[in-house]
Amino acid sequence: MTDAPLTPLEEDDALAAEYVLGVLDLAERTGVDDRIRRDVAFAARVAAWETRLAGLNDAYAEVPAPDLLPQIEARLFPQAAKPKRNLFGWLAGALAAAAIAVVAVIVVPGTPEPELLATLVSADQPLTFEATYAEGTLTVTRTKGDDAGTANDYELWLIVGDAAPVSLGLIDGADITRAVANMPEGAIMAVSLEPTGGSTTGAPTGPVLVTGVVTKV
Amino acid sequence: MGVLLRILHDRAEAEDALQEVYTRVWLRAGRYDATKGRGMTWLIAMTRNLAIDRLRMRVEQVADEGVAEAMVDSAPTAEGTLVAQGEARRVADCFGQLEPDRADAVRGAYLNGQSYQDLAVRYDVPINTMRTWLRRSLLRLRECLDT
Repeated sequence: MTDAPLTPLEEDDALAAEYVLGVLDLAERTGVDDRIRRDVAFAARVAAWETRLAGLNDAYAEVPAPDLLPQIEARLFPQAAKPKRNLFGWLAGALAAAAIAVVAVIVVPGTPEPELLATLVSADQPLTFEATYAEGTLTVTRTKGDDAGTANDYELWLIVGDAAPVSLGLIDGADITRAVANMPEGAIMAVSLEPTGGSTTGAPTGPVLVTGVVTKV
Repeated sequence: MGVLLRILHDRAEAEDALQEVYTRVWLRAGRYDATKGRGMTWLIAMTRNLAIDRLRMRVEQVADEGVAEAMVDSAPTAEGTLVAQGEARRVADCFGQLEPDRADAVRGAYLNGQSYQDLAVRYDVPINTMRTWLRRSLLRLRECLDT
């Protein structure tokens, strides 16, 4: 075995492997987490190592898990159990300026009756999105305002309880349809302005333009 | 659950972590890309990450040598239970090409969540030496597994 120093690419790959292996300390792991979010090529190296080492997974004994469903549901849908108190920092500014959505009933002919609705608006934006949710399908339509322009995209976010915002993808064109497994009443939907292609960090990076609360029809 | 128990060595914490795993699965399922790997690999990778993050946090909070000691005890079983079939056999073959103690170090780290510091104590070498060892071993493994 040679002792030549590693090339930069080998260094990267060794770091990805060390991360997957789990030998790094907390500060190093946090650094790598950040890099995975920013650097697609590096994230691919990590994924490759996860696959390579997956052959070791058989050594983990299967242990029956206790029934944790009630606790898990409470984590996912905290507003069902307790009234929501504080929202996220990043939303706070937007919400202060925003007029919270007012329920509007929209019945689209030929489609299932919507179960949930949200109107995404803001006091200082000439932009409105209407969201309807029925039978696991979310439809979001831009009803007022222009598209995001060539340098930007609108990105749709769902915030459930105290969890971090989850991207539901870009709103390209005037409307989008997405299969969404879970759309709890009281969740918050938001649209942020992102560079073309959307946020690369997994969290909103641009200004939050409009927000709305998911309500029952 | 097996992953969490093995890495965390604490039933209550493993149960708490399991709730977090399920919650994350729910919230991130949209990001799961079926073309990039199988569901179980994805799930175990996510579970291991979460368990190791918790373990590092715990170790940093209490700086408890006992945690490292407890993990050393369970290390040898990793070898015995390695099922030699399919991918697992391939991994085992490639591990077989490494020096035995280095192969053990890599396996112990993966299965038990041992840090460089834990490994350095276990093999009685400086952390930097451990890191050089392990990095070389990993790159050799990659060469073997990718061919």
